[in-house]
Amino acid sequence: MDRTRGPVDPVRAAAARYAGARVARVEDPRLLTGHGTFVDDVVRPGMLHACFVRSPLARARITGIDVSEALAVEGVHAVFTAEDLNPGVHEPWYSLAGRDVPDSPRPPLAEDEVRFVGDPVALVVAADRYLAEDAAELVVVDYEPLPPVVDYVTARESAELVFPQFARNVLGELGGRPTTELAPVFDQAPWSVRETVYQQAYAPVPIETRGLVAEWSAAGGELTIWAATQSPHEVRLFCSRLLGLPEHRIRVVMRDTGGGFGQKAVVQREDMCVMLAALKVPAALKWIEDRRENLLAAGQSRHEHGDVRMAFDADGRILAASIDYVQDVGAYPVPWPVGPSMAVGMFFPGPYRVPEGTFSITSVFSNTVGRTAYRGPWQFESVARELMLDVAARRMGMDPVELRRRNLLRRDELPYTNPVGVPYGDISPLETFEQALGMLDYEAFRKEQERARGEGRFLGVGTCTYVEPTTAGMGVHGTEGATIRIEPSGKVNVYVSGGSTGNSLETTVVQLTADALGVDIADVHTIQGDTAITPFGGGTGGSRSGSMTAGAVAETAAVLRERIAAIAAHRLEAAAEDIELVDGHARVRGVPGAGLSLAEIAAIAYLQPESLPPGMPAGLEASGRYRAESMIILANATHLCTCEVDVTTGRVTLLRYIVSEDCGPMINPSVVEGQIAGGTVQGIGGALYEHLAYDADGNPVTGTFMDYLLPTAAEVPIIEYGHVETPGPGPGGYKGVGEGGAIGAPPAVINAVADALAPFGVHITRLPLTPESIVTLVRRARESRAAEPGTVPR
Amino acid sequence: MKPSAFDYHAPTSVAEAVSLLADLGEDAKPIAGGQSLVPMLALRLTALEHLVDLRRVSGLRGIEQRDGAVRIGAMTTQAVIGRSAEVARGVPLLARATPLIGHFQIRNRGTIGGSLAHADAAAEYPAVALALGAQLEAQSPRGRRTIPADRFFTGLWGTDLADDELLTAVAFPRWDGRCGFAIEEFARRSGDFAIAGAAVAVALDDGARIRRCGIGLFGLGPTPLRASAAEAALTRAGLADVTAEDVGRTALADLESVPSDLHGSADYRRHVGAVVVARAWQRAVQEASDA
Repeated sequence: MDRTRGPVDPVRAAAARYAGARVARVEDPRLLTGHGTFVDDVVRPGMLHACFVRSPLARARITGIDVSEALAVEGVHAVFTAEDLNPGVHEPWYSLAGRDVPDSPRPPLAEDEVRFVGDPVALVVAADRYLAEDAAELVVVDYEPLPPVVDYVTARESAELVFPQFARNVLGELGGRPTTELAPVFDQAPWSVRETVYQQAYAPVPIETRGLVAEWSAAGGELTIWAATQSPHEVRLFCSRLLGLPEHRIRVVMRDTGGGFGQKAVVQREDMCVMLAALKVPAALKWIEDRRENLLAAGQSRHEHGDVRMAFDADGRILAASIDYVQDVGAYPVPWPVGPSMAVGMFFPGPYRVPEGTFSITSVFSNTVGRTAYRGPWQFESVARELMLDVAARRMGMDPVELRRRNLLRRDELPYTNPVGVPYGDISPLETFEQALGMLDYEAFRKEQERARGEGRFLGVGTCTYVEPTTAGMGVHGTEGATIRIEPSGKVNVYVSGGSTGNSLETTVVQLTADALGVDIADVHTIQGDTAITPFGGGTGGSRSGSMTAGAVAETAAVLRERIAAIAAHRLEAAAEDIELVDGHARVRGVPGAGLSLAEIAAIAYLQPESLPPGMPAGLEASGRYRAESMIILANATHLCTCEVDVTTGRVTLLRYIVSEDCGPMINPSVVEGQIAGGTVQGIGGALYEHLAYDADGNPVTGTFMDYLLPTAAEVPIIEYGHVETPGPGPGGYKGVGEGGAIGAPPAVINAVADALAPFGVHITRLPLTPESIVTLVRRARESRAAEPGTVPR
Repeated sequence: MKPSAFDYHAPTSVAEAVSLLADLGEDAKPIAGGQSLVPMLALRLTALEHLVDLRRVSGLRGIEQRDGAVRIGAMTTQAVIGRSAEVARGVPLLARATPLIGHFQIRNRGTIGGSLAHADAAAEYPAVALALGAQLEAQSPRGRRTIPADRFFTGLWGTDLADDELLTAVAFPRWDGRCGFAIEEFARRSGDFAIAGAAVAVALDDGARIRRCGIGLFGLGPTPLRASAAEAALTRAGLADVTAEDVGRTALADLESVPSDLHGSADYRRHVGAVVVARAWQRAVQEASDA
């Protein structure tokens, strides 16, 4: 499996012992016993607490702010408004988006106008959070209400503008060839379908909300930040630009972070405020977002629709596919949502044989919370395509599975370039599709479904097959570093940038390092997330950590292996190329018993430098930086779901859930399956439960977990996993797997419900699928087809 | 999500508790488990000067048989009720309603008195109390009184209790003879407050006539409701003359102010309300017929 490229590596570790195994997570003992260290566990001497005053209106002009009453509360240290904090901003640009993108405005605190309910207007600093909340209630903000632009769908026609400098409320537009060029294909095809597919807003909702502690030491000119983040080094780099402080005087520390899913990928406005305010208060400043704030202001995702067209020949072969896609970016999206949205258009053709295709992308502002990244941010490509394939199959009177079989790419057709120019290789869409169907026993299910329909019960099966981009090899994500230190005792410490928010990155790195050095996993420890001691890195995001850290560890370990072999060869009077590293020893190949333990070699390297071979540096520490070898690594999967629908109440009960995934060789199947499970549950939530909703005036109506419905263990079936392992073009052949679950699940669930309701002639193109929406669909189908007795079940 | 400051009181007797409530007036509220009140305080949906915690008050816990009824102390937790063989035998409807309340962590702290006094329109226990004709016992500095369930729930989160009056116990009269009980609710997720729910008790005579019935509705109005008109119409009717669907329709017929929100419009709640009534009716009648 070791497909490591780069410099020729003369000293090989023994065959992988840990990669591919279900190694128990090294994070679990502390996490499962409640001994993790999350940002709210950080306590500093004299620490102060922050609370934001937030706008109660979707859009209004601020005509005055009176903080005097709040300042008078005992224990209140400061109340900051935009005029206190915003002038401290230097160069607030993000490494991920770059300096030169036409980014949207992002003031730390609202200046003249508030633009969504929850917009931060003032920051109260007090001795504790209770007092801070008391004082926040006493800050008097005078608002002159303005008409809000609530609905992004109509925002382009609105006379009102979220930002005056963005005409028609459009942040940006992208596109391929004009859709009109494909009009003849759609017009002349034997089958042509066109629908508007709409997906509601939902959100990442990490269990640990956002938060940070920032402590400024004026005497030393040093700023220390403890953060809940996916990318500690980016927090430091951004903070350095924001405050105009030199990067090396800032230290960012993160240990455990309880979920991010994209929401903690970059510094947001509240984080900026705390960084700015930290310079103005006499002690560490802590802000821990509460759940209400998280649902109000941490960002929305998904909210979007597409005008989707697909054309087929008489046998159901796809002739063309196009999507005109529009996304809601809210008022203050994280940077810069126009770029990543391109992936919706690029991957809309999916793992299918699509001869012609095109897309357009429009990003629209609204007076709602800003768009943030969320696990598979381009996921709508799969929602739109897979829902449409089911709609098309029913129109053609074809089994949706048969339609997909006729169009999925076969391995012998690869490499293949999709109609909008994306090259595909090393993927296995048809294999995952057939594996999932086999795990279900598709034919048996269809028979069971038939029997159930006879009893007035409605079962359904739905699938989604997709190909996803992972491990982008460009920009700040294009490299990753590792430092490996074999300590004088022979124990091993590995330092990588970190950013694990539950991604098992510690386990992964320890496994890979133990294999690379041929040592026992118990002798390897990893330190992550502290910018003072770990190499720079892009953090977790974009399903990049497995492949990129594998590259970093491989590159660094190769240097150390060579040095270990040289030391051993010198001491054992053997040739370096005859040395192999196995079971924590350097042995002479073919000479049993002849060898040195890593501890003995480390002792030489650190304690007996006079015994080192001539020219050999002392110590056993190396740093390496891996540079991605490909622009992108593609992964693919098929999700398959079965369900029963109670057409009287609209209740959906999921029965079986199967995922067949190809993320290349698995470093740890348990970690892979954990990633798939988490994403899948989020996708089930998006299909059936979660909705970050606003009323017509722009007031959020899902401000607590009473109304924002996350799926719980009771709603989610056992997830069954199948694996196909097609090596990709990177280190070890590994591919990313962090995001896919959240991409594949919503279409599979929706299509299962659509299949259950097929006897009613129902098409589903609008999410979320609430019980009421199902009852309404069935009722309308019965009403509209009442004229044709016998066509719709009673 | 931190509450504003309040004074915490922990009386040890009912007399002490009601005297505190009388002294402190409307700025005080009893806390009886806190599963609804604490989140409301944390979200600052309500602010109180004083909380009078009932957990140390003696004599408010326990389940006993008294005067042909099962009498349950107000501070008895839902978890204890759910495990009680006495309740399962004597008040099966209450036993069957209990697992539908939130999750087990909530039932470990939530109490029956707290549920009834909080009077959430979408909660299970108030509907059960209405369906079975429970008697609620209250005490104030002016003495004790008993309030029938159908006079207890007066408005949105409102009850007949005075500010200085404490719910001390609730007595569920035993339904004897050929009886059946069922509770059915529809919620978005397991453990959520119901979009619509129905608690049904039915007693048959020796033939196939309905001797008596009780239908409690929840999630279908500003208060827990009793479908009195439907009950009256069904009493003494022959089983063969009514279908479950009829019962569902009748029970929902004159409801006003059905709530409407993101999880279900008023129309949808009416529709599902009729379905849950019908399903509960069918199961209850089946049980009574088999008895």
